Amino acid sequence: MEIPDDLLYTEEHEWIRKVGDGLVRIGITDYAQDQLGDVVYVELPEVGKEVAKDDVLVEVESTKSVGEVYAPFAGKVSDVNEGVSESPELVNQSPYEDGWLVVLTLTAEMPADGLLDAAGYRDLTE
Amino acid sequence: MNRSPLHDLHQGLGAKFVAFGGWEMPVQYTSVLAEHRAVRTSCGWFDVTHLGRFELSGPGSESALLALTSNNVTSIDPGRTQYTLLLNESGGIVDDLVVWWWQPETYWVFPNAANHDHVMAAFAAEPGCSVRDLRSESVLIAVQGPEAANLLETLLGLAPKRFRTATATWEGVEVRMAGTGYTGERGGEVCVEPDIGERLVEALVSAGATPCGLAARDTLRLEAGLPLWGADLDEGTTPLEAGLDFAVDLGHEFRGKSALETELARGVSRRLIGFVLEDKGIPRHGYPVRTSEGEGEVTSGNISPMLDTGIGLAYVSPPPSGAELEVQIRDRWVPARIAEPPFHREKR
Repeated sequence: MEIPDDLLYTEEHEWIRKVGDGLVRIGITDYAQDQLGDVVYVELPEVGKEVAKDDVLVEVESTKSVGEVYAPFAGKVSDVNEGVSESPELVNQSPYEDGWLVVLTLTAEMPADGLLDAAGYRDLTE
Repeated sequence: MNRSPLHDLHQGLGAKFVAFGGWEMPVQYTSVLAEHRAVRTSCGWFDVTHLGRFELSGPGSESALLALTSNNVTSIDPGRTQYTLLLNESGGIVDDLVVWWWQPETYWVFPNAANHDHVMAAFAAEPGCSVRDLRSESVLIAVQGPEAANLLETLLGLAPKRFRTATATWEGVEVRMAGTGYTGERGGEVCVEPDIGERLVEALVSAGATPCGLAARDTLRLEAGLPLWGADLDEGTTPLEAGLDFAVDLGHEFRGKSALETELARGVSRRLIGFVLEDKGIPRHGYPVRTSEGEGEVTSGNISPMLDTGIGLAYVSPPPSGAELEVQIRDRWVPARIAEPPFHREKR
């Protein structure tokens, strides 16, 4: 199971990458995509949508089930990956790169608590 | 939790498992989509040892099948198979069954996994009938796809024809099979003692047949428009509502018949229809549907791996007169059209 060292993780199996000042990119982890199985549909939010922490941000659906991706922070959707709309299998093939989901502009400073580093996330999934 | 005698073999092939009808069975090996496509384009095999099965024999066996089930077994002959329904007095579907007719007074009956015990008990209670549980002494392997018959013929020396039984001898042991399945593809189901079954599966794998789990079996049966007992059929639905009229013969007496006759005279209040989404999204069991005249609920839904579109089965009340339907997926109503399965071979 791939768990890159340079990302932060949530207990809901999402990864977070800081990509700029107050900007984070979000996706689901290798573990999450493996649990879901073949991803066949991704429902992305509208760019500009404001979300509160723990709101449903993205629906990732496999042949097996519907996986909900929750907003790890309050913010505004500033970009979405249209690539996964067209090719949902990117979430399986490249969960940390081509299969990213959303970029959020954070409403406030990124809180440090509640997030896991790679080692912490590895402990969670083992 | 019961396990197939082939459990270790599945683990060696990388299977993930799921609990289903009291059994822990393979749900997928690599990818549900890849397994699905292998069955549509070449050949896949499934361990369906969890399926109910018993031998029904004795001088009362034909009368029991006629009295308890809606189809008419005397309309076929020994050596053939039939799909039939066990109903309650209200015409509700207690179970859907497949019958393999070996010879006069000897049938194999296949209930759904979860219904095995009570269906077998219902037949055992009929006069002049004896039943023998086949589950503990056999494994059941479904070999499905356009290449399935060729593969079975190469391995076993013969393949069953569609809806017919066949008996082969392999490595000195009797192999019983029939041209049945639950994928919408040709092929067969093979019932054999566990040790031989394991070697047969190894031979299938060597010959290139794809191991497939229950998840692909479900997307395949849905794409073919085959209803699933427990999702699309249950004791509260009748064969007329479910569009299973072909498995109902009103020319003989059976439990639930008078309820069906009443329903037929009155007209069904709802009907199971197939639909294809016209926009993105995946319909799921329980999602609401609506037409210009009425409403209903999805009972099975998923993606069609061959069409790459959402498909499903839904009960709609009253039975729709047009072809338009909408499915509620979370907060939006997604347009769909009513379609005649098999969805992947639909003639438009």
